[in-house]
Amino acid sequence: MTVSTVSLDAATAPPVAELWKTRRDKDRFQWSSLALLTPAFALLIVLFLIPMGYAIYLGLTNLTLVGPTAVKWGFTGTQNLVRLKSDSEFWSSLWTTAFFIAGSIIGVIVVGYGLASLLMRAQAWMRIVVGGVVVVAWMMPAVTAGMTWYASTTGSGTFATLSGMRNSNFLDAQPLLVVTLANIWSMTGFAMLVMGAALRNIPGEAIEAAVVENASAWQRFRKIILPLMRPTIIAVVLLVALLSLANFSLIYIMTQGGPGTATNILPLYSYQQAFTFNNLAYGALIGNVMVLLATVFGVLYVRIAGRR
Amino acid sequence: MRVTKKMGVHRFATGAAVLALLGGALAWSGGAVAGASSKVTITAAYAANTTFDTTPLGYTWWHAVAKEFEAKYPNDTVKLVPVDGGEPDFLTKLALLYHSSSTAPTIAQFPSTEIALYESTGYLMSMSKLLQGSSWFSQYPTVIQNEGKIGGKVYAVSAGENNNGIYYDKSILEKAGIKLPWQPKNWQDIITAAKAIKKAEPSVIPLWLNAGTAAGPNGAGYGILNLLAGSSTPTIETSSGKMVVSSPGLLQALNFYHEVFADGLGAPTSQLFSPNNAPNIPSADFAKGTLGIAVSANFIGGNWTKQVSFPYWKASSTAMGIAGLPAASGNGYASTLSGWDYGISSGATSAQATAAMDFLNIAQDSTNLIDAANWAGWVPPVKSDWTNPLYTNFDSPFAEEFGKLLPYSSELPSNSNYSVWVQGIEQASGDIAEKPSTTGAQAMQSMNSFITNQLGSSEVTTLK
Repeated sequence: MTVSTVSLDAATAPPVAELWKTRRDKDRFQWSSLALLTPAFALLIVLFLIPMGYAIYLGLTNLTLVGPTAVKWGFTGTQNLVRLKSDSEFWSSLWTTAFFIAGSIIGVIVVGYGLASLLMRAQAWMRIVVGGVVVVAWMMPAVTAGMTWYASTTGSGTFATLSGMRNSNFLDAQPLLVVTLANIWSMTGFAMLVMGAALRNIPGEAIEAAVVENASAWQRFRKIILPLMRPTIIAVVLLVALLSLANFSLIYIMTQGGPGTATNILPLYSYQQAFTFNNLAYGALIGNVMVLLATVFGVLYVRIAGRR
Repeated sequence: MRVTKKMGVHRFATGAAVLALLGGALAWSGGAVAGASSKVTITAAYAANTTFDTTPLGYTWWHAVAKEFEAKYPNDTVKLVPVDGGEPDFLTKLALLYHSSSTAPTIAQFPSTEIALYESTGYLMSMSKLLQGSSWFSQYPTVIQNEGKIGGKVYAVSAGENNNGIYYDKSILEKAGIKLPWQPKNWQDIITAAKAIKKAEPSVIPLWLNAGTAAGPNGAGYGILNLLAGSSTPTIETSSGKMVVSSPGLLQALNFYHEVFADGLGAPTSQLFSPNNAPNIPSADFAKGTLGIAVSANFIGGNWTKQVSFPYWKASSTAMGIAGLPAASGNGYASTLSGWDYGISSGATSAQATAAMDFLNIAQDSTNLIDAANWAGWVPPVKSDWTNPLYTNFDSPFAEEFGKLLPYSSELPSNSNYSVWVQGIEQASGDIAEKPSTTGAQAMQSMNSFITNQLGSSEVTTLK
């Protein structure tokens, strides 16, 4: 077997100046990669960009589900946008959505962190049982979660029976609060798992050092745990915001946006406009507003995830 | 129109295919092939879970009619298209079926409030010529014939009607010291009776008045719209097509709601706002002896029969009383009238339209019509059936009593703005039920704001 050796001869090596002229990243681009990317790009175009573009266009038309403009419909320019601007129901729905999302984020973070923190110290069997139950609640379909919470919070339900007020109807008395609690309940399992993993990754030495330095529990939390968990918390916040924004089923099952418009968050208002009031175009426009909001959350998430 | 073009192509293709099969021995008529041995297939779409009192009863009725039709017309086939879901789901799915000529049902059964909307879309064919010489349609009272009439042409025919009245538990009223048989002369009499029940039987719900949006667009028809119909200004839509958002009649009706709920006489919101079939809840409450009076629809009586069992209550015929809902002034009775109607698709070929009419002739045959009325909780649209023992004995004495109240009933509007208007009035009634301190004027103001915001000020009006 012959072994060939290659020696870097100063005489044959290219001059340093030549090396600098060549961009190191240039060789990385290959035209053939375009062909490999084409299927994914085509899917993106067909399944996202074209439907999205069409939805934006529909939002600027007078298309209805039934009625004369269900057949003869057309572009109406900014008419729907002008309507949206002065639609008090839309702004009310936006505020309801903001409350629902903000309440869900706060609840999910606090309860999720609390459970993760408690389970860290719990015995193994308890960790398995409690963790399992919470995760089952998270895995439960929105329809089942909605039915469970509906049955629990109306008159003669679990809450009313336990509180000794059998005829109390918590769902109708505080509808937005109850649907927000239901959303928190259904998402806590996810937050608990993610935050539990983040908690386990905090170096024990850092906590021990703080204990040696007589740092209080609050100081340890604020100065060590919180900064180290910050990226995880932000990720959970953004994901809960995105999931809550799209949570149509839970509220539809529990209240259908009512009583009145008390729980009419944007997805329900969009549905109501499109299918109850037959205004498909206006419903699409409200849907586009939701896409815009989701994009903001999505971009923030990608940027923060990138920083990590 | 795009749909017309598509339908034209469809007709041509269907016709060409059949022509090829039959060797050119058939006649071409109106874009369709008609002949003694031509095979015609029609489709019939219906709400699988909402029109009939139970899903199995609907299934049984539609399949029996289809079987009878195919036996009588061996060359014709009907494909049933049951549409699942509650009424709002059904309406959405039916509208989507009509969006394509390939899925548009030849016959569809839908609420009367949708007729004008479907006609204005171009989905429905005029049935006027097809109905010439019809033995059953000529027996419809004028008010029911007019239900499907637009611009002098008939676009839909009634399958059955719902009207409303008052049910009361005789024993509870007796305990409250009210003389039987009870017939309130005005709205105040109803409040007085409800107050007496509350005093005598504190654990009983004194008065059921449907409120809120849980029951969909029909919920108001079983509740507040009956009061509006009996008010000083019952108009919902003016002759110029504007929706009424403020009127003395609306205020009267909403003030009545305020009085009922502020005095704790109404049902709890857990029942009123229940998405679980709220308009039928009085059936169960009456059977349990926990409800005194209810303003409700004619189908409640049928719910107590063995066939429907919602729940089965054998003693209902003697335990319950019926009264007409008086007008506010005490002058006559008031009720809304809303029904379910059949329409034939504008995309149907002439052969399909003929077959569809043959199907309807069987569906409207007296026995089938009465079966549908009994199982769906309708008053049959043919006047002679109101005294037919097959109908009156089904849930005696309720069916006969509601038949007597039918002439006092008035139709609900049918246009696209009505769906928004009815949402507004349901929210207003729901506001009062939820927060009884809400006055009639406040509820009407909130209704006015909601509807005006949705429809624009040019589409609404105020009556003085």
